[in-house]
Amino acid sequence: MKRTVMVAALAAATALCTPAMAQERGGTLKFARYDGSRLIDPIYADRNPDIWMVGSLFDTLLRTGSDGSSVVAGLAESHSVSEDGLSVSLTLRDGVKFANGSELTSADVVFSLDRARNLDLSPWAGLLGSIKSVAADGNTVTISLNNPDPTLLSMLATFNTGIVSKAAFDAAEGATDQEKSAAIFASASAGVGSGPFYMCDFEQGASMKFCANDNYWRMGSDGKALPYLESVDFEIIPDDATRILKLQAGEVDVAEFVPFSRVAELEADPKINMNLYPSTRIIYSPINTRDTRADGTPNPLADPKVRQAINYATNKEALIGLVLQGAGKPMTSPLMAAATPMSTGETPLYSYDMAKAQELIKEAGVEPGTEITLTTLAGSADDSTIFAALQQMWSPLGLKVNVEQVDGATRGAKNRSGEFDIHTYGWVNDVNDPSQVVGWLGYHPTRKAVGTGWNNDEFNGLFEAAAVELDPAKRAEQFAKMQDIYAEAAPLLFMYETPFAVAVSKSVEGYVQTPLGNNIFDEASVNR
Amino acid sequence: MATLQYILKRLTLMIPTFLLVMVIIFLLVRFLPGDPALAIAGDRASDADLAAIRDRLGLNEPAWVQFWLFLTNTVQGDLGTSILMRTEVLDVVFQRLPTTAFLTVYAVGLSVLIAGPMAFVAALNRGRWPDTVIRTVFQVGLSMPVFYIGLVLLTFLAAQLRWFPVGGYGEGFVSHLYHLFLPAFTVALYTSAIILRNLRSAIIEVLDAEYVQFARAKGLPNRVILGRHVLRNALISTVTLLGLSIGNLMSGTLVTETVFAVPGLGRLMLEAIFARDYPLIQGLTLTFAVLVSLVFLLTDLFQSSLDPRMRLS
Amino acid sequence: MSDTAVSSSAPSRPSRLQLALGKPGFLIGCLIIALSTLLALMPNVFAPYDPNYIDYLAIRQPPSWAHPFGTDSLGRDSFSRVIHAYRVNMQMAILATVFALVIGVVVGALVGYYRGIADMIFGRVVDAIITFPFLVLVIAVVAVLGPGLINMYIAITMVGWVYYARLMRAEIIAQMGNDYSDAGMVMGYSDRRIIFRHLLPNAITPVLIYWMTDMALAILLGSSLGYLGLGAQPPQAEWGVLIAEGRNFITTAWWLSLMPGIAIVLTGLGFSLIGDGLADLLRPRG
Repeated sequence: MKRTVMVAALAAATALCTPAMAQERGGTLKFARYDGSRLIDPIYADRNPDIWMVGSLFDTLLRTGSDGSSVVAGLAESHSVSEDGLSVSLTLRDGVKFANGSELTSADVVFSLDRARNLDLSPWAGLLGSIKSVAADGNTVTISLNNPDPTLLSMLATFNTGIVSKAAFDAAEGATDQEKSAAIFASASAGVGSGPFYMCDFEQGASMKFCANDNYWRMGSDGKALPYLESVDFEIIPDDATRILKLQAGEVDVAEFVPFSRVAELEADPKINMNLYPSTRIIYSPINTRDTRADGTPNPLADPKVRQAINYATNKEALIGLVLQGAGKPMTSPLMAAATPMSTGETPLYSYDMAKAQELIKEAGVEPGTEITLTTLAGSADDSTIFAALQQMWSPLGLKVNVEQVDGATRGAKNRSGEFDIHTYGWVNDVNDPSQVVGWLGYHPTRKAVGTGWNNDEFNGLFEAAAVELDPAKRAEQFAKMQDIYAEAAPLLFMYETPFAVAVSKSVEGYVQTPLGNNIFDEASVNR
Repeated sequence: MATLQYILKRLTLMIPTFLLVMVIIFLLVRFLPGDPALAIAGDRASDADLAAIRDRLGLNEPAWVQFWLFLTNTVQGDLGTSILMRTEVLDVVFQRLPTTAFLTVYAVGLSVLIAGPMAFVAALNRGRWPDTVIRTVFQVGLSMPVFYIGLVLLTFLAAQLRWFPVGGYGEGFVSHLYHLFLPAFTVALYTSAIILRNLRSAIIEVLDAEYVQFARAKGLPNRVILGRHVLRNALISTVTLLGLSIGNLMSGTLVTETVFAVPGLGRLMLEAIFARDYPLIQGLTLTFAVLVSLVFLLTDLFQSSLDPRMRLS
Repeated sequence: MSDTAVSSSAPSRPSRLQLALGKPGFLIGCLIIALSTLLALMPNVFAPYDPNYIDYLAIRQPPSWAHPFGTDSLGRDSFSRVIHAYRVNMQMAILATVFALVIGVVVGALVGYYRGIADMIFGRVVDAIITFPFLVLVIAVVAVLGPGLINMYIAITMVGWVYYARLMRAEIIAQMGNDYSDAGMVMGYSDRRIIFRHLLPNAITPVLIYWMTDMALAILLGSSLGYLGLGAQPPQAEWGVLIAEGRNFITTAWWLSLMPGIAIVLTGLGFSLIGDGLADLLRPRG
């Protein structure tokens, strides 16, 4: 981890502490992406390339503080929660405008939140399930709840509660909300969001351009409104090698998703800052915990001892060395990245211990020569390395690891139907709260504990209790307990956390990718 | 008049072909593993969400109903909405088509420029060293993997020497020429080798033909012979060859577009397959089929207009 | 295609071998393919290391006496991997084409001989298949069957047989214009005997010449699919996969992609030189 530059923290610190100084303004930042956005609408964004751009176009009522966990004022300059925790009232900032100059009012907020919690529209509506109603009075918005919700304030700082213009939706062509949203997006309209930028050009799957919102309310270090940049040009270049070549040739200023095998080389480049932004991304492998496999044969992995054994037998440090060239760290919490609030555990989970692994396998009575299939992504160099390494690492246990290589769509289908032994997977938090990732990985009703079929009543009960617990200390206790249970049961092969590797030209300052993956251009600038 | 009749006849003959093409596409796409609803909703969606999406897409209908819908919609020019792009398939196709067409024509142009003069030199020096050298060099070109050569050219000519941009398409005609030079050249390495082989033997054939021998015997200068007989013959055979290999050319652009980050139809096709974007895959394959058929037809028309001996039948 | 469409003629046996020996291109082609076959049959004899042996301490080492082609990102010996890939890629040249050849020859001969309704249907099928760019159809089929070598062979065969069948059909029809096939019919031979004993041997020459070109193409196509992640799967050593693995290191570890690149070009060259030589040797002379 010595390579990891804590850029996010640094940038945030500079923004807060430095007095007004000469700040480069204007110019275009050219950004090479690995994949394109399809629809940047707070409520429809469901893929990372969409989600991670929402914040540049849309403001939220609250914002995540620079410490990464507190909530600070956003569009709402103040907020208060009632005694019983059943209502939240927020006072809107005066004079906030959408990018086209029209006023942002409390009616827009009501419209946006009602849209965001509409189960028929948004895949994220479930996250706002506690909201009973949203009402506006002047510049005050009151949210009434069915039950106390400890995550609500974090949710109001999350992309899916971004505020959209009601007028823009009323005026847009189309019969349904989906059609209207697509029409607004396709026309690259300035009137829909109040974020630091608005989308001024878009070519599906090829390129995209953000232009500065002249009406943005936040101030830069020079006392004038943000953003510093005039525009951001995005170009989609799926091929890793080509994306980096573009940066080296000076045709773009930023290349994201740099393969870890090239980090060292780019670090040595005098014109490039090779940034490893801390992230909430974890790489893990769900293990099928059902008593029998999908084809009816007995499943050796149903025994927790076997799952613990393979966890002990996996040398994470070696894996990190091979796949990430050292740019990563073993998971310390079984359910989340260390950067997630309420994560427990300081030491790596299941540190490599072959003797213990062999003992566990013996106790479980697994026959030598037992075959296990690892399902990996076809064409993925990382996955093929993981397979080669695990095959070698688990052979002392008498396990014979076979590989089954499929594409992403097939892997998703297999995860759902339970037709797998172990498969590779990854996750990045979308919400600054542990409930989302814990629900995904462990709470059976969500998605059968990430497809593993693991179902633990105590865990499920704790999860449900934590969903309505307002006392942060108690809630942290509940999450700590869940992490203990999960680590013990080991429904996953716990692997590692990886940073976001982004290569940035030295002429660029202030660009940040947050632990949630959001691309933040608010305070970015280019010195040409 | 005869030409018009011929075109009509050919177009009619295309109907059963396209029907078959559509059956093939439909079957292929239905057999793709992985659920398109899953592709739309993502890994995190609940089972109920997936069922709803399947219902909306009509995936729960019997196969023949789905095929009938696909057929009737296609005939009306409605290729559906792309899952990946969230826009009309036809719009996406028309947006990307010019890029791929430009690249293909550019590559063909370059190939002819490279292979044409070389073929003449080789044919006129048949069996001697210039012939051997030229044939060997182009033979090597024929065996070069596009994906590797493309990467090498990108790394050295573009990233290091900065002679060309690394990928992209550019704005305006001249910029297109500049941006697409390396990808077009990469495709041309392969295509020019095929053209050279064909052109060389076509020229030799004419040179050996009795009427040319006769013209020579009459004392006509070489220049006249070349201009009158050889060029025309060479043109016909090259156009025929290019027309017939249009499918291969487009195959070439598929890989090239991916390596060079050119936003064209080929790259889109790969993305669509990986994303299980049924409507887009269907629309794109159909587009390719229509394009290739049209090129075949144009080739035949061109051929017959140049060579009166070729009857349209 | 016209450059390979050659009609066979009365052979002039004694001079053929001499002619072949007088053609350096043809000889070089044969030599390359013979060597490649040898490597493919016995990679263990020539490869100094286990191609899949991971050595954490020797990552991306430049070429040396110990590792003539250097080592890759997992410390595996690149030379051994390129040599072992010969087996996969030579197999590719054969397995991706030979079934297409057999199916194509049989179907082409039958529809060419009988014509009628089968021929009409055949015509439409051919039209439909050749209106797809080859790679598009192959990738679509691979996507249906799932990535991997066997599925890739099936996909290429499903599309590739058409080209053989088309060629064969045309040749059979041309041959049927000749006297001896009429003679066969007059003599009351069975259809099978006429097709397979008389017509086919005479019509097969251009098909065989096309086969050589097609094997070169199969290697290119197979390695392209490997590069795109649809063909051979890592850690299997295959040239396309090796190039894909080395594509991030063209400047820093050029040997990773250059060596398999050279192997592809050489083998492809070998097959097309043989194809060209055969075309010249078997072409009617006069």
